[in-house]
Amino acid sequence: MSRKHQDLLWQSSLRFLLKHPWHFLLSILGVALGVAMVISIDLSNSSAQRAFSLSAEALTGKATHQIQGSGGFLSEQVYRDVKLATGYRNAAPVIDGYGRVQGLNRTFQILGVDPIAEGPFRDFSSQDGGIDLAKFITGQPTAVLSELVLANLGKNIGDSLQISVGGRPFVLFIAGAIATSNKPSEQALESVLLVDINTAQHLFDMAGQLSRIDLIIPDENEELIIGSLSSSLPQGTRLVSSGSRTDTLSQMTRAFELNLQALSLLALLVGMFLIYNTMTFSVVQRLPLIGRLRALGVTKSEILFMIIREAVLIGLIGTMLGITAGIGLAQFLLGLVTQSINDLYFVLSVQELTIDLVPVLKAVTLGLGATLMAAFWPAREAAETEVSTVLRRSLSESRLAQRLPSLSLIGLAIGLAGGGILLIPNGEIIAGYNSLLFVIIGFSLVIPALMVGLVALMRPIFGALNGLIGKMSVRGVVTELSRTSVAVAALVVAVAASVGVGVMVDSFRVTVVSWLESQLQADIYVQPPSAVARKADAQLQAELVQIFKETEGVASVHSVFSEDVMTTYGSSNLVTTSLGAKASHSYQTKEIQDGFWEQFALEEVIMISEVYAYRFGVGMGDSLGIITDKGMQYFPIQAIYFDYASDMGTITMNRSLYDRYFDNRAISGLALYADDQTEVDVLVNRLRDSVVGVQEVFIRSNKGLREASIEIFDRTFTVTVVLRLLAVVVAFVGILSSLMALQLERAREHAVLRANGMTPGQLWNYVITQTGVMGVIAGVLSIPLGLLISYVLVYVINLRSFGWTLEFIVSPPLLIQAIGLAVGAALLAGIYPSWKMARANPADALRNE
Amino acid sequence: MKLSFWQVITIPLLVGLVLSWVLFSESEAEIKATISAAQALSGGDTEGYIQALGPREFVFPGDHGAHPGFKTEWWYYTGNLFTEEGKQIGYQFTIFRNQLSPSVAGNASSLAQDNDRQTSQAGSTDPAQIKPDDFVRINPESKGAQNSVWNTNQLYLAHFAISDVSKKEHVFDERYSRGAAGLAGASVDPYQIWLEDWEITRVKDLEASDERFPVRIKAEMSNGTALDVVLNPLKPLVLQGEEGYDKKGGEDGNASFYISFTRMQTEGILQKDGESLVVSGLSWMDHEWSTSALDSGQTGWDWFSIQLSNGYELMYYQIRNTDPELLPQTTGSLVAPNGQKRDLDQGEVRLDVLKYWTSPYTGARYPVQWILAIPSEELEIDVATVFDDQEMTVSVQYYEGALQVSGKFRDKAIKGNGYIEMTGYEQD
Repeated sequence: MSRKHQDLLWQSSLRFLLKHPWHFLLSILGVALGVAMVISIDLSNSSAQRAFSLSAEALTGKATHQIQGSGGFLSEQVYRDVKLATGYRNAAPVIDGYGRVQGLNRTFQILGVDPIAEGPFRDFSSQDGGIDLAKFITGQPTAVLSELVLANLGKNIGDSLQISVGGRPFVLFIAGAIATSNKPSEQALESVLLVDINTAQHLFDMAGQLSRIDLIIPDENEELIIGSLSSSLPQGTRLVSSGSRTDTLSQMTRAFELNLQALSLLALLVGMFLIYNTMTFSVVQRLPLIGRLRALGVTKSEILFMIIREAVLIGLIGTMLGITAGIGLAQFLLGLVTQSINDLYFVLSVQELTIDLVPVLKAVTLGLGATLMAAFWPAREAAETEVSTVLRRSLSESRLAQRLPSLSLIGLAIGLAGGGILLIPNGEIIAGYNSLLFVIIGFSLVIPALMVGLVALMRPIFGALNGLIGKMSVRGVVTELSRTSVAVAALVVAVAASVGVGVMVDSFRVTVVSWLESQLQADIYVQPPSAVARKADAQLQAELVQIFKETEGVASVHSVFSEDVMTTYGSSNLVTTSLGAKASHSYQTKEIQDGFWEQFALEEVIMISEVYAYRFGVGMGDSLGIITDKGMQYFPIQAIYFDYASDMGTITMNRSLYDRYFDNRAISGLALYADDQTEVDVLVNRLRDSVVGVQEVFIRSNKGLREASIEIFDRTFTVTVVLRLLAVVVAFVGILSSLMALQLERAREHAVLRANGMTPGQLWNYVITQTGVMGVIAGVLSIPLGLLISYVLVYVINLRSFGWTLEFIVSPPLLIQAIGLAVGAALLAGIYPSWKMARANPADALRNE
Repeated sequence: MKLSFWQVITIPLLVGLVLSWVLFSESEAEIKATISAAQALSGGDTEGYIQALGPREFVFPGDHGAHPGFKTEWWYYTGNLFTEEGKQIGYQFTIFRNQLSPSVAGNASSLAQDNDRQTSQAGSTDPAQIKPDDFVRINPESKGAQNSVWNTNQLYLAHFAISDVSKKEHVFDERYSRGAAGLAGASVDPYQIWLEDWEITRVKDLEASDERFPVRIKAEMSNGTALDVVLNPLKPLVLQGEEGYDKKGGEDGNASFYISFTRMQTEGILQKDGESLVVSGLSWMDHEWSTSALDSGQTGWDWFSIQLSNGYELMYYQIRNTDPELLPQTTGSLVAPNGQKRDLDQGEVRLDVLKYWTSPYTGARYPVQWILAIPSEELEIDVATVFDDQEMTVSVQYYEGALQVSGKFRDKAIKGNGYIEMTGYEQD
């Protein structure tokens, strides 16, 4: 076979695609949208991860191990002992925390170090790195920042800098700039504010304490050194490897990121349906041409190759466009993803998108792969085209009609298999998503049969409403079932995905709102601003507590304190409340021991959140080991409560019990009750006036806090909502493209109708009704699938990711929106073909006959 | 339109390749950064510090402690010890105190209170320079903060070196720490000069006075070489220079306070190369504090401390000038067996270099053998380092070497040991 000959086939392909620009563009759009969603999620996730690992790498430096205290604190005496008594040299004290720099609206990691001890650990913070000790360690309020940040702030060395730590304002002077030699270092240090240990103790009010001690322990004597260091450590402190903390943190976001990825893959799946749909049309439209080519001696494999090449072209252009658009989209998503991580897990500052090779390769593979996969069947169908093409269509239709029962059975089987996957005990999140995939595919295969049924139902109704044209339109949907069913399936999947995610978010929100109502019992809540929105990581000044207790109109006060402690299950959030037995009013329990609340106030029992129980597989009656200032202590779990504030889970104990085992007397929040004579709003203002100049704190009424909490909740779901909207856009474009293509393909049929006396107006009616019917069918079918998806999301994926029990809430507006979306897009899709047909001369369209 | 499939496909492929090349060419690099600070005024700035302007009266044990307000201070111990087998071991152990800024930080170190008297005595301090903790002044709201014990303007530095004469092996180590948070410092009661686990402490002794008492030195290098010795002064404290006031340069204030124990009986244990050796011998202690010592034209010093076999000790240093025409500034003293000190005037001591050694590490060329003569005392000795390579290449570069001495003193053959310190030989 000559090259020229092949080129001719290619020219034919190209000419065909360019002659049908709408079709061509819509195919590309289908690929591009799917790819864009996958890559944007991937890139924003990987950028966040990279920012995290870079900053962890920079801040950990060359430390191999660290000594930690029982809570977030460690007495500096331990450091003296390590250096003086044990004589271990490679040790450096560290205080770390968060603060905001005025002029840049973001959180910085404040790293307090002793530059003299830093040398072996971190070059940017060491004396050898160039820190001017005379300005740094002498008790002057000084800090060092990256050069880039200084440039952004428009500041120079020697200028002053306003920062805020846990709501307390400070002025620091810039004693130096961190000069980075490469991009990763720049990224790693762009949110680091370096201060001396003494300055850090001032900023965090941690006199006498450290956050941790970093150690470098050489491999060869590791066990020996660890042994000798550990033996001299006081109770409650422990020596752990440096990676463990970073690992814990990166583990936190795993489920979060996985869920986002799954949503983006769902979009790609919808994209694949669209591609399949459009490729099929492009083949069907050319069947006569292909038949002629075959008659001229073009082989089957050449035809197959021709279609595959078209698919490659579409896939490639779509993928490129998708990657470009995805990078743009990722810029936007990155902000949302970072915000969610900050609200939920830990402080992370991601200033720019990192474009990694892996997500790009993945997008190329997915984009091209999905296109080729979707194009394979149409290509094979084209290749198998008989030389005589006249009877081709009706044959394929009748073949489908025969296969309808078996197709439906296979669909059912796949769907059931999907359900079966859920029954596997201890299934992972991945299993949940696989089951979702099976359910979707299974449902799609049943769609043709469902369509036949629905059309049978709808025909009399439309006949009554719209006479003959109505009946004809509806019937037309099934006469070409092999085409319409694919289009409808694509629409169903797209719309169902948006319904599923929508129902999940709604369920979540309703559950959280009702939980907040029962949890928030006091009239007024006081909290310092914390770095992570859903976590109380800052402390209230002791004097504030006194001020509040004495404020007129305050009937009673109880306190809350939250800190991370080490338990038998790793680092966990411990919340202490001074409510005692009164906690029974605030906590909704899932499981509870008889007489628990009396025990909670007086005895050594604790309760854990539902999420905590799920994550670590602990339950009622189990004992939880917590490293306290008095060493490891075991507490029996006597209740499990609902808590939607933390997806990491929390442990709750009464303050009196905490005080028995911990020396820390800090408080991270207060709940106040107003007396009967005082209006809450009046009291809030009175309290606000009383704290001026002491500490910047949030003083909110019950209602205010509830609103603020819901706002944070909504913020953490912004990414999901955005993804859902994108899925809606994909669905909309899909409906538009496939129905439009379907109608365009029917040009000849329409011409026959015109030639037989149908007026342009009647043709309008015919086409619009037909697309409308398909929209309605898609909308109706998307609801059961959407509910199935949401069911899996709420009861399987959410549970496996986070361990929450949610109420399943289906809001009618959401369902109406889905049908509206399908019908609206379908009607819109009918406009152009019917306009075109109504204007065209039917004779032209028939001339080929 | 004559585009072939491959032509069409090549374009996006090429664009993709170029894009990925541009995007991913950036290599994975290690995180590296340095600090650029506005260039601090270097050593020359002595404003706000106390200067040694004239003789003063010493009070003990206080003056064995630290003297904050002066910029630099050191407690310098050298000695030549012998194992039971007679192998010679030279050692140097020095703790330096460096003040980073003139103001005495609030309550940073215990020594600030111990030596309040010091500042008033010198009479040259401006109370305004002893600022309260600036952090609290600027951020008055940080109330809990005064308790931070980490802020300080005292930086401690220590050097520890062993010269193993039989192996011609010189090992050394250096440590740094802030003089705060209990990590390093100097306290008078109980007497302790320490930097982490390197320390000089007072040993209980009923016969001792607050001026003259035995001390114990303990230090271990990273490589495991460790010294644990007790030093007992055999002679009274020597006030070097003019009653302990020692002028180094011609300019006012370029002087130090300088006191010595020139002969200290030393016994203890040296751990080196996995061996524990009982050692004994003689040590020399210099304690010196100043704010500025050298004039602008002075480059460095050659500083001898020699213990002679007839019970005499000789201290002699010369401060060299950049201008070789200028005669060096010298100070010297000869301490008699009864502890009587005679100052050696400028020009009384003749020093001729016999041999040089060029450091393979730094390229610096140090003298390593001399003839030292004091005609007025009928003393002429041959002084030589026990081996060449005793250079200290730590954060400051200098030479600190054990010496052996032989010659004639008033017609009698004598021997001796000592130490030489040489600074200012850095190659430019």
